[in-house]
Amino acid sequence: MAMAGDEFRRLIETHQRMVFSIALRITGDYATAEEVAQDVFLELHRSGEKLASDDHVRYWLRRVATHRAIDALRRQALRPEAAAEEWVEEQRVDEMSFNSVALQARLEDLLRTLPEPMRVAVVLRYQEEMMPDEIARTLGQSVASVKSHLHHGLKLLRRKAAVTMKEYVRESA
Amino acid sequence: MNQPEELNQPEDLNQPDEAFAELEERLTQALCRVDPPEGFADRLMARAEPSKPVPAKVIRMTPRRAWASGAIAALVLVGAFAGEQTHLRHQRERAELAQQQRAEAAQRQFEAGIRITDETLDHARAQLARAGIELRD
Repeated sequence: MAMAGDEFRRLIETHQRMVFSIALRITGDYATAEEVAQDVFLELHRSGEKLASDDHVRYWLRRVATHRAIDALRRQALRPEAAAEEWVEEQRVDEMSFNSVALQARLEDLLRTLPEPMRVAVVLRYQEEMMPDEIARTLGQSVASVKSHLHHGLKLLRRKAAVTMKEYVRESA
Repeated sequence: MNQPEELNQPEDLNQPDEAFAELEERLTQALCRVDPPEGFADRLMARAEPSKPVPAKVIRMTPRRAWASGAIAALVLVGAFAGEQTHLRHQRERAELAQQQRAEAAQRQFEAGIRITDETLDHARAQLARAGIELRD
């Protein structure tokens, strides 16, 4: 049975930023993110009576938003710009500074180029500030697997950021 | 924000701690939550509202059409009653015929039995007569 309108609106206003941001960062597309977020809330509306507390609602929304966003990403059939291995083979640029405002702004773009499992883990860890064991529960994966995705995701992001920075400096010169 | 301990361990990362710590900090800043598009909640509420129930279609009949409908209903009822009565009558006739046939068969069996008995008695009487014994009635 669906929940009451007032209660549903309160839940939307409380959690819409979280749900939309998860969907946006995973799918990388504004319109798709809104569609995913709406579908997630509608699903909550239909199953509202089963959710006992606000914590339960938050956990449920994070989990469903993540899975629906992954589904949407797969449907889009968008692939990362480059495979992880290609970047690992890049020449390492040590001591790269991340002070550049331009580079920080590009981090979100770079995130979209990560392979799906790494991207999802990084979004949940650094946007939602979830610990690896929470991420593992949300995704139905092992903690070791999540840690591995985080580790390789960060490593890859750092290499991509280093190359981006090098290009940025070259273009600015 | 809680720092992920496992990522700050050199044996996990094979990288200097500070390199990833800075990247993590930048990521946290870059990945702050964003607002959904304007009107998101309103559009969602509109989609969540249950659709209004469609009222049942009422067919209003004119008196003439109502009279015709009543006549048709009465004819249907009369027809059904007549059919039922015809069916019962046929059933009753079939039962009477079967009973009559059973009675006639019993009569025939009885008559055959009497005839056989008479013939047997006549034959016995004739044999006795040949033996010089005469039965009196």
